[in-house]
Amino acid sequence: MAAWVERKQSLVYGSDDWLPRKLVLVRAGGTCPAPFQRPTKKQKASVAATASSSTRALNFTLHITSHHGIKSQSPSPMASTTPQSALSFPRETFAKLSPHPYLRAHLQPTSATATPTRANGRSPSQFRTPHINNGSLTHADGSAVVRIGDTTVVCGIRGEILLTSKVPGWRADKAAAEPSSGAGYNEIKELDLLVPNIELATGCSPAFMPVIPPSTLAQDLSTKIYSLLHSTNLLDREDLRIWYQPPDLSDPDRMDDDSEDDEETSASEIKAFWALYIDILFISLDGNPFDAAWAAVMSALKNVRLPKAYWDPDREMILCDDSVDKSKKLSLNGLPVAITALVFKAKEQAQSKDKKYWILVDPDTFEESLCDESVTVVVDCSEKKTRILSITKSGGTIVGREEMKDIVKLAEQRSTELSSILNG
Amino acid sequence: MDAIHHSSEPSATLSPTHNMLPVLADRKRVNGPLGGTSAPIYSKYLAKDPKELPERPTRSRPNNVLRKMFLKTGVTPSASGSAYLELAAPINSKSVAPGLASLSPSGLKLTCTVHGPRPLPRTAQFSPHIILTTHVKYAPFATRKRRGYLKDSNERDLGVHLEAALRGVIIGDRWPKSGVEVIITILEGEEDQWWGDDISRGNTSATGWGMMSVLSGCITVASAAIADAGIDCVDVVAGGVAAVVKEAGIPNLVLDPVPSEHKDIIAACIVAYLPSRDEITDLWVKGEIGHQNQAEDRPQTSTYEELTDNAVQAALGAHRVLISALKETADVKLGRT
Repeated sequence: MAAWVERKQSLVYGSDDWLPRKLVLVRAGGTCPAPFQRPTKKQKASVAATASSSTRALNFTLHITSHHGIKSQSPSPMASTTPQSALSFPRETFAKLSPHPYLRAHLQPTSATATPTRANGRSPSQFRTPHINNGSLTHADGSAVVRIGDTTVVCGIRGEILLTSKVPGWRADKAAAEPSSGAGYNEIKELDLLVPNIELATGCSPAFMPVIPPSTLAQDLSTKIYSLLHSTNLLDREDLRIWYQPPDLSDPDRMDDDSEDDEETSASEIKAFWALYIDILFISLDGNPFDAAWAAVMSALKNVRLPKAYWDPDREMILCDDSVDKSKKLSLNGLPVAITALVFKAKEQAQSKDKKYWILVDPDTFEESLCDESVTVVVDCSEKKTRILSITKSGGTIVGREEMKDIVKLAEQRSTELSSILNG
Repeated sequence: MDAIHHSSEPSATLSPTHNMLPVLADRKRVNGPLGGTSAPIYSKYLAKDPKELPERPTRSRPNNVLRKMFLKTGVTPSASGSAYLELAAPINSKSVAPGLASLSPSGLKLTCTVHGPRPLPRTAQFSPHIILTTHVKYAPFATRKRRGYLKDSNERDLGVHLEAALRGVIIGDRWPKSGVEVIITILEGEEDQWWGDDISRGNTSATGWGMMSVLSGCITVASAAIADAGIDCVDVVAGGVAAVVKEAGIPNLVLDPVPSEHKDIIAACIVAYLPSRDEITDLWVKGEIGHQNQAEDRPQTSTYEELTDNAVQAALGAHRVLISALKETADVKLGRT
């Protein structure tokens, strides 16, 4: 018998045209940096870009002389005519050989009017376009696929049941009395109801291979997501509670029952909690894992539909109803958006009057390898006023008050862009 | 058709780091509530009356029609080669509205990355040909029951079979002293049986039928990713599954079986097939058909040969999709759109 097979549309990647990004990686639409000319005597190897009318065929020329080791830069036409002293590389080779000058060459404005452009064709404050696709995974209660540039993340959330009888030291009256009984008591945190884990060992990048226990970066990211989920108070704890209301036995027919017991029997109690397992898998990694992972978590949380759960007193277990109408979504408290920015320093330009650093938002892997200082800001602009939920800064000494203000402004911009996608 | 193995490397999937203590690994992850949690139980599971149970999904395709397949290469630009494969979830005509996520029928969703060929570490022994390593891992949310982060025996089994299927395809002699890693993440796996049978109601026999389709998908997607990575192969290999299922007492041959749609699967066969050489690089049959001498009184009973031939037919179908997906990528690469 002959086999029949058809092509279909992808659920995970959605309708958005999913081009193999590798093919358009070089420069998609971005303008090419103008050739830069900066004769510096101190430079170990002076670097020049030969001007080329074609944007694709831009060659960078590295001059190396055996006599001094240093040679001041010669004009581009000469470089091409004297192959003995000049090695001409395609841009990829130049980027690999001397990544730092390569990125600086892109950012350094050649004229007053030119705007600095990064090696990936974006301006320093330009984010990559996000694509979000929800609910494509069958076995997850909520799921999202987020693609930001070449970084692709899948997040799946599953609800499981934690019986209060299994919680050590749980007393029914504690929560039944009033949720806010103990000041500062947060059962979502105390009982560990949110379980985020990030997996990088999916072959998403050559740096993370399977079989190794989670890398430091994966642990770091998991912990960050975990603490951010708790510190933002994102989830309503009522959503995660499963109540039981014992039937009212004080029927009019049975008036002889003790009326005192009624109070106790009809008091509803928490029988169980939903624990949310949030698993975040990277399919592809090209920088900025945290922002993408957080966007995926947010989007998946918005997508969660927990079935209606109830306590069955006869079977003494929690049962769920499988109808969609009775299931409910989580009510989220705000819509936090994370943005990460890196500071790129021009190391060898300490004396010159030129701008010494650039703040690059939404960095890719190449930029991440060249920058030490990083700032992550989490803002929530869902209400009128912007709330800053978290600021994390590490490494370097450049970012001060002014720079931080700029980054927060950028975060606000990004937040409006992302939340329209997250909500829509 | 005989299996040719270019490389005599032992399966590298079973590397010693697998045996790390779970305690050690768990400390590096967020583990959740101490007492442990349980998966939600739906009241329909427990219904005593069979009439209250939702109806078992049935196969709506003809026996020789495969599920729709989506295949795309280049999904992971940071890897040398990558591909994504998706099989359509069976459409259940009987269910009125789509149920909650965890009770809906699932398709198959696989993503594969290939890293390499790259030089082996200096400490490694000399190898005259490429060393192939395969990893297959289920995502925690890939199946109805939540999976752990540590590899289980099924995943290792899949890795070994995948390695066998691919080893015969790659022209290994062209890369001495180098290694290549094939990593597959199963975002959504095939179910082993209909969820209604989970609680030992039906008298379904063995488990693990879902693994057959998963392996077949793994072979096809890995083949696409290897081609995307530009690794020389004798041909592109495709996976195919056929099964003998019992319907109303009569055994029947079907291609690309969905385990949840069949109550009784008697046997299933998966092949990794190279069409241009008419060669099978991996063959795996599960279940028992019975011996040929029964064939006289029950003519419908299929033989193992028929089963394998049908699996090859299924592989040919997958091969067609594979070729068209690779052509599509090549066209984009060459600017022919």
